Amino acid sequence: MESEELIRQVMAEVMAKLGSDQVAPGSTITAAAAKGASARMDATKYPLGEKVPDQIRSASGKKLSEFSFDKVRSGELTSDDFRIAPETLEMQAEVAESVDRDSLGRNMRRAAELVKVPDDELLEIYNALRPYRSTKAELYAIADKLENEYGCKVNAKFIREAADVYELRGRLKSE
Amino acid sequence: MDEKTLRSIIEEVLGEFARNSAGGGVSTLPRPDEVPAFEATLTQATGDELVITEEGPAKKGLSPREVVIALSPAFGGAMTKTITGIPHAKVLREICAGIEEEGLSYRFIRSFRTADVGFIAHDAAEYSGSGIGIGIQSRGTTVIHQADLPPLSNLELFPQAPLIDLETFRAIGRNAAKYAKGEAPEPVPVRNDQMARPTYQAIAAVMHIKEVQLTDPNKKTQALRVEYR
Amino acid sequence: MRSKRFEVLGARPVNQDGYVTEWPEVGLIAVDAPADPKPSIKIENGVVVEMDGKKRADFDMLDIFIADYGIRLDNAEQVNAIDSLELAQRMVDFRVPRAEVVKLTTAMTPAKITEVVNKMTVLEMMMACTKMRSRLFPANQAHVTNVRDNPVQLAADAAEGSLRGFAEEETTVGIVRYAPFNAIAIMVGSQVGRPGILTQCAVEEATELELGMRGFTAYAETVSVYGTEQVFMDGDDTPWSKSFLASCYASRGLKMRFTSGTGSEVQMGFAEGKSMLYLEARCLYVAKGAGSQGIQNGSVSCVGVPAAVPGGIRAILAENLIAMSLDLECASSNDQSFTHSDLRRVARTLMQLVPGTDFICSGYSSTPNYDNMFAGSNWDAEDYDDWLIIQRDLKVDGGLVPVLEEDVVRVRNHAAKAIQAIFRELGLPEITDEEVEAATYAHGSEDMPKRNVVEDLKATDELMKRGITGVDLVTALDRSGFDDVATSVYNMLKQRVSGDYLHTSAILDDNFHVMSAVNYPNDYLGPKTGYQITDEKWDQLKNIPQAISPEEI
Repeated sequence: MESEELIRQVMAEVMAKLGSDQVAPGSTITAAAAKGASARMDATKYPLGEKVPDQIRSASGKKLSEFSFDKVRSGELTSDDFRIAPETLEMQAEVAESVDRDSLGRNMRRAAELVKVPDDELLEIYNALRPYRSTKAELYAIADKLENEYGCKVNAKFIREAADVYELRGRLKSE
Repeated sequence: MDEKTLRSIIEEVLGEFARNSAGGGVSTLPRPDEVPAFEATLTQATGDELVITEEGPAKKGLSPREVVIALSPAFGGAMTKTITGIPHAKVLREICAGIEEEGLSYRFIRSFRTADVGFIAHDAAEYSGSGIGIGIQSRGTTVIHQADLPPLSNLELFPQAPLIDLETFRAIGRNAAKYAKGEAPEPVPVRNDQMARPTYQAIAAVMHIKEVQLTDPNKKTQALRVEYR
Repeated sequence: MRSKRFEVLGARPVNQDGYVTEWPEVGLIAVDAPADPKPSIKIENGVVVEMDGKKRADFDMLDIFIADYGIRLDNAEQVNAIDSLELAQRMVDFRVPRAEVVKLTTAMTPAKITEVVNKMTVLEMMMACTKMRSRLFPANQAHVTNVRDNPVQLAADAAEGSLRGFAEEETTVGIVRYAPFNAIAIMVGSQVGRPGILTQCAVEEATELELGMRGFTAYAETVSVYGTEQVFMDGDDTPWSKSFLASCYASRGLKMRFTSGTGSEVQMGFAEGKSMLYLEARCLYVAKGAGSQGIQNGSVSCVGVPAAVPGGIRAILAENLIAMSLDLECASSNDQSFTHSDLRRVARTLMQLVPGTDFICSGYSSTPNYDNMFAGSNWDAEDYDDWLIIQRDLKVDGGLVPVLEEDVVRVRNHAAKAIQAIFRELGLPEITDEEVEAATYAHGSEDMPKRNVVEDLKATDELMKRGITGVDLVTALDRSGFDDVATSVYNMLKQRVSGDYLHTSAILDDNFHVMSAVNYPNDYLGPKTGYQITDEKWDQLKNIPQAISPEEI
């Protein structure tokens, strides 16, 4: 069971990387091909929560089909269980692409990477990305940390790109 | 003609513009880039006039018993009245009186890098020894801010400039001082008028554009001496 | 001597509004500013090297973002070479399916799409909106606020709002620190009126995200974007920070839409001499590029600016049309007072009400306007019957349904009691029976007893520090006998696990079934296609209690 979880996790990470490394809209074929047509989600399976609930797990690993109000009552389901999993975001990204919404799909893949990042840290990174808040080195350090600690490759690239643009446009913190 | 007289004439001209704009009920306003003709008035010491002098770059205060008031680029200079025609001198007097009522001191600074009231107020808080500041724009929009909050958050925000009367300005000063003393005051009652926007928004935009034209990203925030005449 | 006619005219509400003549040099102009760029695009090796007359080396931050993320490049050069009039015709022509138009519009540059929609009259834009709306059927959103941030009244108004048909409800605060209470009050109250309502609390970006993460809101909307770089900076964000924020929301399974609108740039003093509509088009490509599923636009809180210049209300419709043509969910404003004239406010709203948008108002004030903390909406609680009768007159679905007084009283009371129970269970400042009674029958905050604001604010702070979450609200409701409301709040939290409502134009029905542009796409192709009001729905809309049956006479 655990190894299945691990495979799922690694798969999703690889998919996310393959899928959203592509900057140009419309070029997500790589992800589809890598995953194989059979497993790929599309609009016909949507809403996933209704049509394929047994394939959806929370970030904590619990099956959506086994969620119940009684389990909240008994304390079996806690706040941490109401979190979306990276795999689910990957499936939703595929649904978005099946109806030609590539940029929404890319957002969902960036999000998939961020699931693991704690709330406080996300808020800090968001604030650091605001204008005049960070030096270029600080933004690069954030990108490195995201990449090394949480495997957020796409987000790391995105933040480095932001740092470069901020530098170009004079929107970094003045030292 | 000395500099002072010249300044008072310019103030009068621009003040006249603000008065005309704030007239309300007028269906067509003067084209914003046309300065209306002004009528010469005797400059008497009514105390309604501000004389503001820059005293070099502002410094961060050390006293925990002060509130810093930051003015927008045009406040009390290029513009002299709020959107409803309240003289800026009276606005400052009331805010200061509110702070004094609570036994605290105040200092003035002026921001040049922005005309946005959130950032101006945040500047005030950052320079303030107590970490509490007040930011105010020429049209009257006011914010009470605290240094450790995000710039576009606030302790209290008074976004609807046309609704802020002198009593409210005094209450703003009083509450800012209370925050500085570490108290949790009852926020100044929020006022709301859904017809402020239809009447004033376009005029507010024009006032803001003129204020923005006076910003200078390279000019450091200045300490100010404020006198009434 | 004054003309008596002119005296009467001068006293009319319409003459209490502020109007200004155009000032193109600073961008105080709705469309067609002399400084607006001419459309162009050049792509080399998959990279945009020129856009709207500007070389890549001269791009500002927004240009870079739009060129790299906002435009579909595979057929961009071909599409932008097509005559704008022909493209406008295809957008209006109901025989050209929506999906085909989206392939064209998403490949246009901001200047191109501005030029295309500017070929249309408002009637043609309305025709185009009917087809370009993303979701098959329209819906509506409510504002739920009050001038004292009274949580009991918020819960009751939220309950009444959802009973009346709103699919989404939005609150904001008079005092920022009240935000957690406001968010909780409308989330709980809304579920009482009709399960499945999405709720949000509009505050500063980082705070809003935190409320969502806690499980106090289901979605967010105050993710503002602007059309010039300087105003973006004044808004304390960049396209990259906003994109990151969009991903943060999705990573927590929360629906999110951006907000923009004509007039914000000139209002903030940095329009660079460009027209309001062109700058708004730039905002919309930023939103698209960031991967937002949708946008709230239609000038929104800046409406007093376009409304004061010639053609401004037309420009507002045009910006809604651009949003939906970029395949975004469009919450089409109609949510801010902009005039003293009842005639003007109806005329402005017909532009969106008749074609129908994803959310016609975003939102409609569920309280009297004196309690509307978005500085007043274009429609308020006192207009409920007007709205219902306009729907009945025109046979249009504006998202609201007639209700009975006893039902409204019942849900208001239940919601007020539910929030009272939560406060008791969580040790928050007491909500008295007197407050519950007052909220049940209140019209606005003037009918409510005052609360101890200082105590409340202290409690909101503690609530956040104690780490209370949405699940704690569920268990608190359950423990105090509100298992019906508890179940609904639980089901709302569950939505964030499947993420189905992250898709374009998603709303939920009362069984928590997600309805979005994925499973309910707009398939309008002319008369008798697309969304049709069913007989059952029409029966509901036409049966207003005021109507006298002929048999009774």
